[in-house]
Amino acid sequence: MVSIINSVDTGHEDMIHDAEVDYYGLRLATCSSDNSVKVYDIKNGVSALLDDLKGHFGPVWQIAWSHPKFGNLLASCSYDRRVIIWKETNRKWAKYYEYSNHDSSVNSVQFAPAELGLILACGSSDGSISILTYTPETNSWEARKIQNAHAIGCNSVSWAPATTPLFNGNENDQQAQQPLVKRIVSGGCDNLVKIWREDGDQWIEETKLEVHSDWVRDVAWAPSVGLHRHTIASCSQDRRVIIWTSDDCVNWDSTVLHLFDDVVWNVSFSLNGNILAVSGGDNKISLWSQNTEGSWQCISDVAKGQGHINNN
Amino acid sequence: MTRVINNDYYIALECKDLQANAMSLDCTGTYALLAGRRWIALRNLDEEYENVFKIPRTSKYEVSAVEWNPTAHNKQLCAIAINEKLEILHWREESLSVSHSLRAHTRSISGLNWHKFDPNILATSSVDTFVNVWDIRELRKATLSLSNVAECSQVRWNKVSPNLFATAHDGDIKIWDQRKYTYPLQYITAHTSKIYGLDWSPHIENQITSASQDNSVKFFDTSNPRKADFVISTGSPVWRARYTPFGNGIITVVVPQLRRGGENSLLLWNIGNTAAPMHTFVGHRDVVLEFHWRPQRQDNTNFQLVTWSKDQTLLVWRIEPFLQKLCGYEPDDLSLYNENCSVVGGDDTTSTISSRKISKIQPLQQEFSLLNVHIPNLEVKSMDSTSRIALVTVRINKFTVNMQATFPNAYPHGVPPAFQIMPDSNLTDMMGIQLLQTLGHLAQQRVSKNRTCLEPCLRQMVTTMEQLAADLESDRSFERVYAEASTIGGYKDAYIPFPRTSGAKFCSVNTLVCFARPLLTKRVGAKGDSGTPRALSALEAIIAKRSSDQMTVSAYYFQKQKQRSRSKHNLSKIANKAMVHVYDGTGLFLINRQLAEEYILDGDVATICKHNAAAAAVIGRRDLVQAWTIVELTLTQPQNDDVAAWASHPCGDNLITSLIRHYASESDLQMAAMLCCIFGKHQENSLRQASLKSILCPMQLGPRKRWFKHNHRLLFKTGGSPYHTIPPADIIAEGWVLPILKSTRSTSLDNIRVEEIVVPPSPIKIPYVALYEYYKMAYAETLHRWGLLYNRTEVMKFMTIQPEPYKGVECIPDCQTCQTPIKNSVCTSCKRIAFRCVICNTAAKASVNCCLICGHGGHTDHLEQWFERHSFCPLCGCQCLMETSHILAHIEA
Repeated sequence: MVSIINSVDTGHEDMIHDAEVDYYGLRLATCSSDNSVKVYDIKNGVSALLDDLKGHFGPVWQIAWSHPKFGNLLASCSYDRRVIIWKETNRKWAKYYEYSNHDSSVNSVQFAPAELGLILACGSSDGSISILTYTPETNSWEARKIQNAHAIGCNSVSWAPATTPLFNGNENDQQAQQPLVKRIVSGGCDNLVKIWREDGDQWIEETKLEVHSDWVRDVAWAPSVGLHRHTIASCSQDRRVIIWTSDDCVNWDSTVLHLFDDVVWNVSFSLNGNILAVSGGDNKISLWSQNTEGSWQCISDVAKGQGHINNN
Repeated sequence: MTRVINNDYYIALECKDLQANAMSLDCTGTYALLAGRRWIALRNLDEEYENVFKIPRTSKYEVSAVEWNPTAHNKQLCAIAINEKLEILHWREESLSVSHSLRAHTRSISGLNWHKFDPNILATSSVDTFVNVWDIRELRKATLSLSNVAECSQVRWNKVSPNLFATAHDGDIKIWDQRKYTYPLQYITAHTSKIYGLDWSPHIENQITSASQDNSVKFFDTSNPRKADFVISTGSPVWRARYTPFGNGIITVVVPQLRRGGENSLLLWNIGNTAAPMHTFVGHRDVVLEFHWRPQRQDNTNFQLVTWSKDQTLLVWRIEPFLQKLCGYEPDDLSLYNENCSVVGGDDTTSTISSRKISKIQPLQQEFSLLNVHIPNLEVKSMDSTSRIALVTVRINKFTVNMQATFPNAYPHGVPPAFQIMPDSNLTDMMGIQLLQTLGHLAQQRVSKNRTCLEPCLRQMVTTMEQLAADLESDRSFERVYAEASTIGGYKDAYIPFPRTSGAKFCSVNTLVCFARPLLTKRVGAKGDSGTPRALSALEAIIAKRSSDQMTVSAYYFQKQKQRSRSKHNLSKIANKAMVHVYDGTGLFLINRQLAEEYILDGDVATICKHNAAAAAVIGRRDLVQAWTIVELTLTQPQNDDVAAWASHPCGDNLITSLIRHYASESDLQMAAMLCCIFGKHQENSLRQASLKSILCPMQLGPRKRWFKHNHRLLFKTGGSPYHTIPPADIIAEGWVLPILKSTRSTSLDNIRVEEIVVPPSPIKIPYVALYEYYKMAYAETLHRWGLLYNRTEVMKFMTIQPEPYKGVECIPDCQTCQTPIKNSVCTSCKRIAFRCVICNTAAKASVNCCLICGHGGHTDHLEQWFERHSFCPLCGCQCLMETSHILAHIEA
């Protein structure tokens, strides 16, 4: 069902906290407690270290690739309260922009869908979310901050897809070209999942979803191609993964995907949105697929991180 | 190889043509950089052969100052001052590149100095009277700019305090605090003529020395600067005076321009003895231009002095222990030292060594009185032989230790003194334990032979402290600046989530990236502990219990086969922590890359369906074969009468829409999007036929007409041949983006937009347009990720939503005869054919390229053939390829 194409020994001197492959699936970036970010070329099943990015002074928690139409950019966030955007020129990365306006560890970074422009969202333990927007005309970055987005701290941010078909399916107003709406979902230490929408020049809290009973560790907004509804997955310290669905982004239904054995750290949707990967403190990775009736089933799990995926 | 082995020095480099006048060593002591008007040269001092890396530079200005960054963090950076310009050079992978270059001052720069602790801070002084402090991360503007009256010749950061620096102005010294930069902290009227060199004491914050034209070197205490503490009269103008890293010595050189014949210029002094130099370094045949101490390294703890002379040789001097002794410095190991000095001392008659014999048994009082209290970094607070207590203080960098030694009555007969660290020390617990262990061990060794141990112990204490501090420093040289951020435990960790150590992410189209802890790890924690903690602060509690050395996430997960040995083993242990697995998740998805490559959308519906059905059969998707067959039957004109029913059947369209819905709900985006395209094509065809047949409404034919006209546009691409046209997608080469100069797409018959065609008389309406558009767009995005640009364009042709209007460079040619801008193949005002191909001399309408310089061009394929063999224009001899690529490179920049 899944076959391993590459096993990369990253040579990090400490635990890895995040790994991501770029838009084309050709490069792998990893970040670790050893304060470094490494970039590998993984084309054709071989891996070669391209660069070792040193610039953070604390463990690096998360990384994110940008859409290649903005150049090869890589964002990283760290315990040292900073966000660094790295840019590649001639296979070497250099610091392109550094944002250090958070008062505590920055836990999550994600680039917005390319249609919205070059925008980066960062969630920090100081409770705020920063939206960094690049303006090509002035070649400058502008930061906007959602203060106090989550009471104790924000753990994760995820962008809504830029374009979605009208899910409530009135096909007669066919050319209803929606203006692009910027939405973010965030999860935090106040056990809440919140949805934010840009309204004019500020971000407003659109919805507050309250089901989790402990810190929300990760949120992911699904690319909605195969799902026909807005879908968000959230996972929490309470060991549950919850799937939220909505037709209009205002009223959300929640279903508990599963109660896991240990805390859940990570949820990730596939490009078509029909498969969800879940991982957590028990060192296991499981894949969940939505069937035609709309319910989710576990289709396989990666045992104990050693790269064998068992088919159920 | 010309290496002269001598007792004192060896020649590291002899190079006549360098004509360098500035030299600097990097913080690891590996590289010496020499800079002059014509060359910048790098010599790796570790390598035995004269391996010199030379970069030519042509400038009419001399290099006035050069300095490597002294911190490990930015050790690859080197600052160099040329007239009024400051350049930051970046030494990376055997090449030296200029990473920054700026006009730092309005007149020539006289000196520069990196901050000793902050890797990004640099100060420059200039003849224009300003002293600027720069942050290399933000070089557009100086972070500080201090204005003075007199020109500034030197700037030096304090080696102990991160905020202080000194500047020299003629015969005066100013001491500044960068936090309060409006006026200097101290103004020292030091010399009667110009000061050439300043140097701060490496250990004591408020000691500074200045070298001047007035034949003297003066030492000041900046807290009480009215009078110099000492003055050394050298007899000739002094260019530089610098402290030795050991003892209390100082090295001076004579001003190069003023050297008198035969005089030797490189001298070593002891601050305590200002009457005569302790040593003269003999070896250079000409004046010394620059000298530096080589940073000490693990494998080599000797002190080494590197000098560059006008005779174009770079010498590395070993500082023998007797010289160190002359400066009041004694190596730690006394026995070794005694051996050395007896040998060396015999050779050198000028040095007088007072060998200190330690008698077998001495009362404590005698030991106290004989104690040599001049130990660097150590201060003896009190020694009381009646209460038998000695109190000393050691200050190394930011650490202060107050140590109390209590001597039992039986001491030194087999009973060691008791060492105790007083509570007002700021030592970490671990350092304290190590220090006490070392001292206890040494004391025990000595008293077991009935020998006194105070002085060796104190010396050992300083050495140990230096080592511990250096260990910390080498771990994190930037710790001073970012101390609070560098290790876990600095912030309110209770609110920071516990780090992830395993995870899975779907990336790109069908890649799944997984990482996890290795199998052998097991969680630390009490039995019955339910789960992973939620906050980072949990680490503190657990690590504290285990009193482990480091607080990291990996310490939380220990390995079953644990080996608690020192660093080297740790590395191997950690090595397998860092695996990342990349999975190909193709099997999880219905979308298939091979199909994407094989599928076609070009041609008539029947051909497409047949081809695509065959492609699906190859990869074994029999359901798709059936689907394609049904589509073919439904959408194509009947070949014979038997199957005529479906093509015009009222349910035909519904069948297709339900097929699309089915595949979409199955998440087979590929098939859904392909069907949308085919369906769109079919409807377009039938509409076109219908509207062409209807002669009823000629009005509608009018606007449509223009869609049948071919517009020609100049297509060009950056890089490579400007005559190479590209598909109008975002450009990728090997999957990586080149800067985009997108051309407007030329329209063709296939590209007629459905909206334009949907004319009121048509009863048919395309359902779910928005949804279908979305499928097509999402599929196009997938193709883009796969790098299948051609296939993507094919799909994009079926989009009814207008693409974003193109913003960027567009070339609009002018008509050759009437000079009006033309957009079509025929000029609108003079009705001539706008553009003729220079090869075939016919009207060029379709894909056309032309040279941006001479304006000649023609059919793309004709030009391609021509330029395969030639590089010049077929008509006028213009170097089209070269010129155009120049222009494009310019636009790009």
